[in-house]
Amino acid sequence: MISLRDIPECFEGIIPAMMTTCSLEGEPNITEISQVHLVDDRHVALSHQFFNKTQRNVRENPNASVLVFSPRTYEQYRLQLRLDHAESEGPLFEEMAARLQVIASHTGMCGVFRLVSADVYEVVSAEQVHDFMLPPDPRLDPPRRVPGRLEAMARELRGLQGISARVNRAGCLEVLLESVLQALDEELGFRHSMVLLPDGRGRLVTTASHGYGSGGVGAEVPLGEGLIGTVAARRRPMRVAGVGAELRYWRTIRAELQHAGKAPSAPEIPLPGLPDAQAQLALPLLVGDRLVGVLALESREAMAFDVWTETFLDILANQIALGIDRAASADDEGEQLPAGAAGQGAAGAPVQRTRVFQLFRNDDCIFVDGEYLIRNIPAKILWKLLRANSENGRTEFSNRELRLDDSLGLPEVRDNLESRLILLRKRLEEKCPDVQIRPVRRGRFELQIGCGVQLRESDSA
Amino acid sequence: MASIDPALVEFLSSGVVLGCASRDARLVPRSVWPVGIRVEAGGEEVTVFLPVATAGEVVANLRDNRRIAVVATAPVDHRSVQLKGQVLEIRPAADDERAQTDGYRAALGRTLEPLGVPRMFVLRLAHWPAHAVRFRVEHLFVQTPGPAAGRTFEAPFRPPEPARS
Repeated sequence: MISLRDIPECFEGIIPAMMTTCSLEGEPNITEISQVHLVDDRHVALSHQFFNKTQRNVRENPNASVLVFSPRTYEQYRLQLRLDHAESEGPLFEEMAARLQVIASHTGMCGVFRLVSADVYEVVSAEQVHDFMLPPDPRLDPPRRVPGRLEAMARELRGLQGISARVNRAGCLEVLLESVLQALDEELGFRHSMVLLPDGRGRLVTTASHGYGSGGVGAEVPLGEGLIGTVAARRRPMRVAGVGAELRYWRTIRAELQHAGKAPSAPEIPLPGLPDAQAQLALPLLVGDRLVGVLALESREAMAFDVWTETFLDILANQIALGIDRAASADDEGEQLPAGAAGQGAAGAPVQRTRVFQLFRNDDCIFVDGEYLIRNIPAKILWKLLRANSENGRTEFSNRELRLDDSLGLPEVRDNLESRLILLRKRLEEKCPDVQIRPVRRGRFELQIGCGVQLRESDSA
Repeated sequence: MASIDPALVEFLSSGVVLGCASRDARLVPRSVWPVGIRVEAGGEEVTVFLPVATAGEVVANLRDNRRIAVVATAPVDHRSVQLKGQVLEIRPAADDERAQTDGYRAALGRTLEPLGVPRMFVLRLAHWPAHAVRFRVEHLFVQTPGPAAGRTFEAPFRPPEPARS
C-alpha cells in the first residue's frame, strides 16, 4: 500500500476522479467526482451535495473504489474505500463547505447548493495502477529536469530569507508591500500577486499588486465573498488548483439548472486578477487574531501552489503581517524616509491643462474629468488636500492633522491611514498623474500639482 | 432494454473519458479505464475494450457475475451518461479491432489537449492487447452534474446549453 502523502497532487481537484459503488442488489454504479479530499494517511473525504445513486449505495453498502490521477505524471492510483462516517460540522466540514462556496461564487451559484456532509472514508488499500501507462520512450518523452526535493527546499529557503530581509528593511508600508511582491516574483517565481488591506467597512481594498500591469489597485472585495473574502473572513489560507476545471464543472451545473428552470439569479462574477488563472492561493495576514490584510497569488499553472507552498508562504505571511502592523503604527513625524520612498513628483511640470475634480457627497466619491477616481475616506482626504491648496496654496501636510480631523471619519484606533494614503497615491498615479502626493518625511507628505485644478461638489450624480 | 440513439453514438465516439465498473461476489466494487467503445448494430448492445494490462480483476468480476456499468463523460463540459447492463461475451480483442482503440485514443487526445493534458499522455496509455467486453444495455442514466443527474436517459442526447451569466 502506498502512502497517500506521497501523492498529494492527486487530491488537488485538478483531474476529476472516478468513483464506483455497488447497491445491495449487486448493481455497480460509476460516476465522475470533481475532488477527493485528503484527510490523513488512512482517510479521505468526499463531498455530499446531492442525494444520488452513489449516496444511496454507500449508505447501504459502504464499499467504494476510486481512481485518482496525478496531474504531474498522469499515473493512475486505485483507492479501495469504506464509508466510515459523515460529518456535518467541525473543521473538515467547514473547510469543504467554504471551498465549495468559493468556487460556486465565481459562477454566481453561491448558496445555491449547500454541503450536506463531508463523508469520511477509511482507505482500505491504495495502490498505483501498474502498467496504466507504457514506459516512456526516450525519443518521444525526453526526461524533464525536475529539481530534487532538497534542491527545491534550499531555493525556497533562500527565497524566504531574502523576502524576510526585505520586510525587515522596509521603512514604510508602501515600500514594504511593493518590495515583498517584487521579491515573491524574483526569489520564488510567483509572478502575479496582490495585497489587500481591510478598509474598516467590511471590504478589502487592493493596495499593492504585481504582475497585473498598471491597473488593479483600488479594486475591492467584500469580506466573505470569493476566495479572498472567504480567507479574510475565516482567517485561514485557502488554495484552489485547477480553477478552469472547477469553473467548467460549475458552469455545467448552472446550465443544467437553467434548463430545468431553476437558474440562479446572481450573475457570474469574473475572477479577480488573471482572467485565465488556473491556480489561486490566498493567505490571511494576521497579527494575533487581528486581520491586517490578505496576500493573494495567482498562476496560469494548475499545480503552482501545493500544500508545501501554502505552508512556507504562511510563515512569510506572518512576517508581512508584522511588517504591516509596524509600518502602520510607526509614522512619527520628522524622520528622514528611506531611499526610494520619497519619489519625484509632478511639481515643476508646466501647467498645461485643467482637470476637473467632482465630489459626490452622498457616497463620498470623487471623479476626475468624468472618470471614477476614489471613494470613502481616501476621497475625503484628497478633497481636504485639494481645497486647502486651492484656498491658501498649501502643499505640505501631516498625518497627524489628518488624524485630528473628525470630518474624515478615521477610526480612533487602527485607522489604517498609511494604507489609505498609499491607495490614494496609487489611484492618482493611475488616473491623474498631474496630481500626486509624495512622502517628504516620516508622517509628512506633499501635494504636487502639475495642472490647473477645478473643484466641483454636488450631493449626488 | 435500452436503445442508443444516433446522437448518443456520436457522443460516445467524441473523445469522452470512459470508466468501466464491476463488483465482486462480496459487493466490493472495482473499476478500470476502458480504451475504446463501440455501439453494435441495432443500438442495444455495446462493446467496451479493456486493457489486459490493467483490467484483470475487473474482467474476473465481469466473468463471475456479468453486472457492468460504463460511464462516458465529456471532459470539456462534464456532460455524462451511464450505461448499465449484463455482459454477453468476453473475448480477446481481434487484430482488426485495434483501429477501434487507436481511434478512441486519438479522439481522447484531441479532447484533452486543449485542457492542458499533453498528447503524450494518451499515446502512452496501455491499450493493447485488450479484452472486448460486449454487453446488453438495460438502463441508460443521465450523469451530468445537476438536478437531472441519475435520471433515466431520454433521447435525444441533449447538447449542453451555454450558461447565461
